Amino acid sequence: MIPLIGLLAGIVLGIVLEPTIPQALQPYLPIAIVAAMDALFGAFRAYLEGTFTDRVFAVSFISNVLIAAAIVYVGDQIGVGSQLATGVVVVLGIRIFTNAAAIRRALFHA
Amino acid sequence: MRRRTRRSQPTSSTISNGPVDKLEESDGLEKLEESPPPTPSTAHAPDASMDLLNQIIREPVDPDYALAAARGRDPSQGRWMLGVLALIIGALFAVAALQTTRAAPALKSERAELITRVQAAEREQDELRSRVTSLTEEIATLRAAALGDDAARAVESQINTLDPVVGNVAVTGPGVLIVVDDSPSATADARDRVLDIDLQVLANGLWEAGAEAVAINGHRLSSLTAIRSAGDAITVDYRSLTRPYRVEAIGDVRTLQARFVESSAGAWWNDLAQNRQMRYEISNVKQLDLAADPGIVLRHAGRAAS
Repeated sequence: MIPLIGLLAGIVLGIVLEPTIPQALQPYLPIAIVAAMDALFGAFRAYLEGTFTDRVFAVSFISNVLIAAAIVYVGDQIGVGSQLATGVVVVLGIRIFTNAAAIRRALFHA
Repeated sequence: MRRRTRRSQPTSSTISNGPVDKLEESDGLEKLEESPPPTPSTAHAPDASMDLLNQIIREPVDPDYALAAARGRDPSQGRWMLGVLALIIGALFAVAALQTTRAAPALKSERAELITRVQAAEREQDELRSRVTSLTEEIATLRAAALGDDAARAVESQINTLDPVVGNVAVTGPGVLIVVDDSPSATADARDRVLDIDLQVLANGLWEAGAEAVAINGHRLSSLTAIRSAGDAITVDYRSLTRPYRVEAIGDVRTLQARFVESSAGAWWNDLAQNRQMRYEISNVKQLDLAADPGIVLRHAGRAAS
C-alpha cells in the first residue's frame, strides 16, 4: 500500500513541482526510467513470490538506474550512444516482459 | 567481441566461477545481472554463445531477493525507504512524461519555423530574380547609351535580334499553349505521371516546330535551362513546378501547332495521352507574355575594337 501511495504522490509531485532536469542529464532520463521499470517489475514479482526485501530493492533500483545511465553516457562519449541505449532497452525490455508474464501467471493463474 | 568473452567464461573457468560468485554474494555484495551459470552442463550446451539472452530470460528476478529471503528478513528496516523510492520513481515518470509532452509542441513550432524560413528564402529569391531582370534592362539601356558610333550600332542591332531568341528579354506575341498533367490514376502507377523527360521532349519539340520563345509555368526556357526531376517534383532552372504544367510557346500560329503535332515530340505526347490517359491540351493563343530568363547573366565582356 505504501509504495502505491508513494508512486501516486510522486507522480502528483512531479506534475505539480515540475522540477527542471539539467540539460546534460536529460538524454538519460528515459533510460533511467526503463531501468526503474525493470527494478519495479522485478520487485513486484519477488513480492508475489514472498521474497521481497526493501534493501535489495533499493540497491537494485539505484544501481540499475545508475548503470543504465552510465552505459548510455559512456556510449555517447565514444559515439555509440544510441546503439547502447537500444541494447539497454532490449535487455531490460526482455526482463520486464519475462517478469510481467510471471506476475500475470501468479496473479491470474493463466 | 562480447560473444567471445562470453564464450570463454564457461569453458575456461567453469569450475572456479560458481563458488567465487557464491562467496561474493554471501558477503552481502549486491551484484546485479551477474550470476553464476546454474549448472555446469550449460557450458557445453549448443546455444552456449547465447548465454547472455538465456541468462536474462532464466533469471529475470534479482537472485539477491531469494538470497536475502533465505537469510531471513529484518523487519526493523522501515517501510519508509520503499515509500521514498516509490516517490522518486513516480516523480521520474511524471517528469519524463511532462518533458516529452512539452517537447512535442516545441518540435512542431521548430518545424513551422523552418517552413517559414524556407518560404522567406524563396520570396527573397524571387525578389533577387526580379532585381536581376531590372538590372539586365538597365544594362541594356546603358549599353545603348554607351555604344555611340556606327560599328557599335551594328553590334547593338545584333544584340536586339538575338536577345528575344536566347531568352534575355521579356517577349510578347501570339503562340501556342499546351497544358499537360498526370493522368487521374497517377497515384496508382508512377508511370502515369509526367516525367522530366516528357517536358524535355515537349520543349524540344516546340523549338523544333519553330517556337521563338518557350516558357513552362512562367519559367522562360533558354539554351542553359535545365528541366530535371528532384524528388517528386519537376524543376525548371531548379525551381520546382506544380501541376498542371502550362507550356507556352511564342511562334507562328499558323504553322507552330501543326508542325509540333507532326514532330516526334507530338507523337510522343499523343502516345502518352492515348495510352496513359495523361492530360494533353493544345490550343492557339492570341497573346502570350513571357518573362525573361533571370538565369542568363553576363559571362563575358570585352572592349570593342575601336
